[in-house]
Amino acid sequence: TPHQATPSIPCRSLPTRQPANILEEARARLHVSSVPESLPCREQEFQDIYSFVESKIIDGTGGCMYISGVPGTGKTATVHEVMRCLQHAADVDEIPTFHFIEINGMKMTDPHQAYVQILQNLTGQKATPDHAAALLDKRFNNPAPRKQTTVLLVDELDLLWTRKQNVMYNLFDWPTQRHAHLVVLTIANTMDLPERIMINRVASRLGLTRMSFQPYSFKQLQQIIMSRLNKVKAFEEDALQLASRKVAALSGDARRCLDICRRATEICEHSTTNPSATGLVGMSHVMEALNEMFSSAYITAIKCASMQEQLFLRAVIAEFRRLGLEEASFQQVFVQHQALCRLEGLQPISVSEGLAVCRRLGACRLLLLEPSRLGVLQRVRLNVSQDDVLYALKAD
Amino acid sequence: MTALLKHPGYDEEKLRRVAEQLPCREVQAGLLLSLMGEPQQYSYPSIFIYGHRASGKSHVLHVLLKELELHHATVSCVECVSVALLFEQVLLSFFGCDAASLLPHSPSLSDFVRIYRQQRSQSPAKQTRYIVMEKAELLRDSDANLLPALLRLQELVEDNVTVILLSEIVWDKFRPNTGCFEPLLLHFPDYSKGELQQILSQDRHPSYSAEFYSSYINILLGVFYSVCRDLRELQHLAALNFSKFCEPLEEGKVKETDTHKLWRNIEPHLKKAMQTVYLREVSSLQWEQMQLMEEKEAGALRGLSAHTHVELPFYSKFLLIAAYLASYNPARTDKRFFLKHHGKIRKTNFLKKNEKTSNHLLGPKPFPLDRLLAIFYSVVDSRVAPTASIFSQISSLVTLQLLTQVSHDDQLDAPKYKCAVSLDFICAISRTVNFDIVKYLYDFL
Repeated sequence: TPHQATPSIPCRSLPTRQPANILEEARARLHVSSVPESLPCREQEFQDIYSFVESKIIDGTGGCMYISGVPGTGKTATVHEVMRCLQHAADVDEIPTFHFIEINGMKMTDPHQAYVQILQNLTGQKATPDHAAALLDKRFNNPAPRKQTTVLLVDELDLLWTRKQNVMYNLFDWPTQRHAHLVVLTIANTMDLPERIMINRVASRLGLTRMSFQPYSFKQLQQIIMSRLNKVKAFEEDALQLASRKVAALSGDARRCLDICRRATEICEHSTTNPSATGLVGMSHVMEALNEMFSSAYITAIKCASMQEQLFLRAVIAEFRRLGLEEASFQQVFVQHQALCRLEGLQPISVSEGLAVCRRLGACRLLLLEPSRLGVLQRVRLNVSQDDVLYALKAD
Repeated sequence: MTALLKHPGYDEEKLRRVAEQLPCREVQAGLLLSLMGEPQQYSYPSIFIYGHRASGKSHVLHVLLKELELHHATVSCVECVSVALLFEQVLLSFFGCDAASLLPHSPSLSDFVRIYRQQRSQSPAKQTRYIVMEKAELLRDSDANLLPALLRLQELVEDNVTVILLSEIVWDKFRPNTGCFEPLLLHFPDYSKGELQQILSQDRHPSYSAEFYSSYINILLGVFYSVCRDLRELQHLAALNFSKFCEPLEEGKVKETDTHKLWRNIEPHLKKAMQTVYLREVSSLQWEQMQLMEEKEAGALRGLSAHTHVELPFYSKFLLIAAYLASYNPARTDKRFFLKHHGKIRKTNFLKKNEKTSNHLLGPKPFPLDRLLAIFYSVVDSRVAPTASIFSQISSLVTLQLLTQVSHDDQLDAPKYKCAVSLDFICAISRTVNFDIVKYLYDFL
């Protein structure tokens, strides 16, 4: 390989198309990657984080903040928005200039790579993890004149966990140093992460400045979509409400809500025969998108399985009923299967075919199986509830 | 008798030679040929061939690929302890040693596919390439992704390549948990008695007539067919015993046609061979030497299993006897056997349900060290001090694998043992110390 090879995404041969109609326009705006003009419904959190970081920058002190919330509640987006605003304020000399660094636990091969990335973002130096840790330690512990404040954003904090927790310890210990001028913002999904996985000396250094992002309510979701669409009239009012209510009831994940809306526009586009004159996205389209997203794939898989496979699932349930257990060996199930075959007036299948049927069901995870080298003695369990199987088998 | 193999795309002469070398396997060879198709045609991505040992799986493939001069690599999975060796052998036989040297130190599957594709683009296949994997059941123990990848190698490397797996185990026990591309299954059935007779009669001795050798094979199969259908084993036995069969002929006692007398002569000899040389008690070399020496009766030589007598120290013998008694007697009968003033207990009135079956059928039971020593002291007549040597003898019995420790190795207090010797062995041992062990065994009461 050549030295200094830089991987890159191949360029587009054609530029992206301009949206042709309203639905395409709406789809582009609803895409998760399109940055919105503003973040609605997170004004309070924005204000809290902003004032926290701003006060630390102005005072020239350091501190930690822990931000938690389920996925899709706008944690990362809000922090980024805060940093954008602060950067703007620094540009117009309202506050002292500062340095913003972002690392993501998910993007690192090893927790210790955090040191390397921080050092590289700060100074441009490259070093091994150990050396980088020593250099950072020196930098944050020793006084230096006219030192800028550094704001460090650590996303996916739980992946920085190591057995001795030294990475986390250092990250939270540096801000407490007098000369560090370091503000650390950490983001994770669970609220009680510090109590669950951190040892006392790490958790105490993290401090008590915590903030949790609540899942969006349906009104907030609706407002988010409205603000995204920004007067593009593509949705019926009721359709939007249905989508946001459904998502709010399940998870309150804004990304999920956007996905459903985009899928609904696609369905709407396909359902009309004339591509130029498309109507609004109605209730039925959203309903269809919701069904696609939330309905269980297992039931569809059982419905579409072959006759012998369905018969085998029936045999599994019959054997479970007979044993009163949730587990049976293949040969027990197979006896039931053959009885069912005779009952249905089919030619009973051979053991090899039975094993093939069982394996195929196991490969699509409808059954949980032991390794196939155990042959007829392997134990069979259902990966879906018995009710689901019965519902799927009865539905035809 | 051989129905000629026919397939377009192959030389008639070569096919005739193949058919000559594959007696009784025309059907399978024809099927394989039709699956392979003409050399330049694409074949099925993977074929799985299974059948018992010595049913001609490798032989048929080897002869077909060799005689028809097809591009192939034969890999034995026993030899390939790491996947690196496997990849190297395949690349070596397809593209020469340059390609094999391109493999990095510990290659992954993607390295192999990358180099294969690179080489394939330089020297594209004019005809199907075959990879024959012998003893394919060992593939299941290697990386989880190897077997699924081999099954769809044609797709991965985009080349006209076919993987043929040979195994004695059925395909049902191969399927990975996550599913895979299903190969074409092909079964090689066992040879029947007639087929065995036909194949074995082919390699006859040149100085005797074909009918004579065939009658010998007939007698041999009459004795051995009920216990052994393995062609290779039978070939070996036929070669070993033929000189004995010819003996009366050379001495001029009988004629070639006098089958009954020949049978009378060889039959007890073959019966003896089944107990000795077939079980490898006596090596083939010893067997041949025994046949030369007239005065020494065949089988008089002590076989391997007769060498089980082990010289042990005096107390070790008693320790072993005590261990055997502790393993095969229920603990509740100890009082009755080893105490002087036991009450009169009959066998029937304290039988538990599971004690009704013989302990010798169920195998040895574990016992604690205390019980072993207690029985040991009551069995030995003299007073024995529990010195270090007694305890070290117990642990050396464990290292000799006459006892086995059942609990963890590091457990010093109350270790548990099992006795791992047979009844014949312990009887021989107790005879040397004049101890009647049968009297003390609960099973023989």
